[in-house]
Amino acid sequence: MKRAMWLMLFLVICVSPFLAAREKIVVYTYDSFVSWGPAAALKEAFSEEYDCDVEYVTAGGGKATLSRLIAEREAGTNNADLFMAELNDVPRIANYDLFLPLTAEDVPNIATVPVDLMAEGLNGFVPYEYGYITLTYDTQAFSTQSPPATLEDLADPVYARQLICEDARTSSTGFSFLLWTIAHFGEDKYLDFWRSIHDSLLTITQGWGEGWSLLTHGEAPLLVSFSTDTAYAAICGDPLRYRAYAPGEEGYRTVYGIGVVKGTRHEALAKEFIDLLLSAEMQKLIPTTEIMFPANGNAKLPPAFQEYAIVPHTVLSIPLAVVGENMGKWLHAWETVITQP
Amino acid sequence: MVTRLGDGDHTTVTRGGYLLLLALAALLALVFYYPLALVLTGAFRSTSGWSLSALTSVISDPYYVHLIWFTIVQAVYSTLLSLGIGLVGAYILTRYDFPGKRTIRSLTVIPFVLPAIVVALGFILFFGNSGYLNRALISLFGLSRPPLHILYSLTGIVLAHAFYNAPIVMRVVSASWEGFDPSIDEAAVSLGAGRMRRFIGITLPRLMPAILSSSALVFVFTFLSFPIVLTLGGARYATIEVGIYTLVRTLLDYNHGAALILVEMTISLFFTYLYLRAEGHLAIPTQGSRRLSPRRFLAPPVSVGKVLIALYVLLVGIFFLGPIVSIVIDSLRSAQSWSIANYAQLLSQRYSPFLGTSPLATVRTSLIIGSLATMASLLVGTMIAFFVVRGRIVGRWIIEAALMAPLAVSSVAIGFALLRGLSAPPLRLGGTLTAVVIAHAVLTYPFVVRVLRPILEGLDPQLVEAARSLGSSRLRAFLDVELPLLRRGLLVAAVFAFALSMGEMSATIILMRPGLSTIPIAVYGLLSARQFGAASAMAVVLIAVTAASFIVIDRLGGEKINA
Repeated sequence: MKRAMWLMLFLVICVSPFLAAREKIVVYTYDSFVSWGPAAALKEAFSEEYDCDVEYVTAGGGKATLSRLIAEREAGTNNADLFMAELNDVPRIANYDLFLPLTAEDVPNIATVPVDLMAEGLNGFVPYEYGYITLTYDTQAFSTQSPPATLEDLADPVYARQLICEDARTSSTGFSFLLWTIAHFGEDKYLDFWRSIHDSLLTITQGWGEGWSLLTHGEAPLLVSFSTDTAYAAICGDPLRYRAYAPGEEGYRTVYGIGVVKGTRHEALAKEFIDLLLSAEMQKLIPTTEIMFPANGNAKLPPAFQEYAIVPHTVLSIPLAVVGENMGKWLHAWETVITQP
Repeated sequence: MVTRLGDGDHTTVTRGGYLLLLALAALLALVFYYPLALVLTGAFRSTSGWSLSALTSVISDPYYVHLIWFTIVQAVYSTLLSLGIGLVGAYILTRYDFPGKRTIRSLTVIPFVLPAIVVALGFILFFGNSGYLNRALISLFGLSRPPLHILYSLTGIVLAHAFYNAPIVMRVVSASWEGFDPSIDEAAVSLGAGRMRRFIGITLPRLMPAILSSSALVFVFTFLSFPIVLTLGGARYATIEVGIYTLVRTLLDYNHGAALILVEMTISLFFTYLYLRAEGHLAIPTQGSRRLSPRRFLAPPVSVGKVLIALYVLLVGIFFLGPIVSIVIDSLRSAQSWSIANYAQLLSQRYSPFLGTSPLATVRTSLIIGSLATMASLLVGTMIAFFVVRGRIVGRWIIEAALMAPLAVSSVAIGFALLRGLSAPPLRLGGTLTAVVIAHAVLTYPFVVRVLRPILEGLDPQLVEAARSLGSSRLRAFLDVELPLLRRGLLVAAVFAFALSMGEMSATIILMRPGLSTIPIAVYGLLSARQFGAASAMAVVLIAVTAASFIVIDRLGGEKINA
């Protein structure tokens, strides 16, 4: 009798993890969303409302995480329920048929995203925030002289070794800057621009973080960055030493999106997750944590954002389909030019 | 013809030896060759099927040709500089005794284990346009602009590679040098040979295996270097590894990526093979019955040589300590003043969301992975070292090159291959600690072989034969005769394997799942979250944990050897 009881207890202990296991959705995302984005708040709200755990997985930037997702799928496993990244990171997703189609019926809050922003995305990949790539300068280094007024001015020898930009192949920011130069100068002239700024470039960093590190350590006074940098400093209560500005009143649109990965076993929960991310309650965290503009048109912006976040007069953007078609060609031409001594 | 150790019947591979080799081959096939082969088949494919187009474009396109050329050039410069700095260091360590020598020797591994991103940060803080060195020079000479433009160029890359690799040369060469029997040298003195002549005629040939072994290591290591090149050279000074990374991880162009991996592997395997051939002819036995006794550096007389040595120590000291001290200073600065706030916050939960786990947990994970990987790596590495030195079967050079192949494959490629190979049947280890341990063991065992091999070459197999003729089994002979003689080499090898594992990031970041973070990944996470002070603090934790482990291992080993 006693032995039977022990046996029962043993069985219960063995089985209990399975009984107690809560549902869990796995979100493949980029590092900064987890590190300073609204990831924690989102996870807490979601697990409370749906009694479901949220696990974030990141392999670095959006491109690296996407590469991991695809490698795992090709190896025959699918761990991801949701995937998040900058839109220009994912044009090749079309080749892999990764996402379930989404409509406002599945995810009611899609209706809060402005139509023109929705149009930037691709089927099944919903924008949840956006911003502008511009330049950021060190006001101490430019106390007497002004920063270059236009992209063309960057070639001026007075700016020798003063510009830091990010690698278009490894960084979403760097890729957006490359697309900006293509949109600005045209496909036949953008390489001339890159040749012309050869001496102005101090270096091309792997990611935006390294670039920001170089800027703030005084290595060079100009960085390809976000139009919301000044607002971020204001939100943190930092001195406004590094200020964003739009050269020639121009900037390039950058959009971040999320999609439900095909093969998910938690389709309904994944859709609820997107709906929560797009809700006004979560979207109001976007400016202060992601330092981006919320996709939800109803979300209110904090005062520092209203005062300092720059919306460039001219916003350039190349349609995603065109990017997807030419990406390999453009990047290869770019890498060939920038590695020339 | 040079007489080689082990010529004769007694060293042919036994049946047990073949079984061991088979088991080894099966193991490596499962965790290395199969995953790599999976990836490499991509080189012969295009989107439409089997094709050679990826391969031909990689060897004819100006961008790729430039990549390959630049990779070789910077590796040659880096190897030469590392050799220059390292050989002088090895000479000083071998010939002189001075206070704190053992600790200094242990600490020479520190640069090697620092994640590239930390070294880059240290270099920027120290050598940068606004770095300590330039600022010191500006205030010293009343300049208006920073005089040194070291970073973001070939010079910066080569310097950083020397920072990493000169200590390897120093350790490997001095480990071999210290084992020399001074009798031969003394005989030459009695025959009237001068110092230079003795060095060129006696010391240098005996040092050659160690010099070649460490040069090959450094060449292959700098040839495959990636984060340093990317961070300090920027994308403009790109290497093959940068090309692979961008193709595989960001452009998702596996066919060109695989083709480039193949080209890279071919070149580094070729160098490994050349080196193995060369070293085979240079192996000269050393009995090691007597040891060279070092002189006390601080004892009189003062000579020109000693002044030059002091100058070397000063310059090299600044070169190595500058970036590391800069990181320590940076970690102790918060809001423009001295403070331990960065460290205090590592103990709080503040950074947990950035890392997916607490900073302290990453220390534990790193130690666990490091220990397991070191054990696995020592086991496999020792077996291979024995086979390489003692095995005499047809095609040995080819087999040896194949066994050492992980050395010739980039860590990005290995990480990627393991992600694909381990996630699929028969192994389903994707995202587990085991996968990371396997990756680290695969990445580090060639280094164990590198360290053990020259020492094994110097062991007389007749010692084993003697034990066996007295009735010992082969295993017993190994445990009682060879192992004690190898102990010092095993310790050095363990230190290297552990060090590499502690600092490894390229493959780890591909394989790791959040919640299982290592120290270097935590540093990287904090850096990309703009928490520079905390990143410096975490880097200091890595330096401290590793330094402590080395000193402990060195002290323990030292006592055992002395006893």
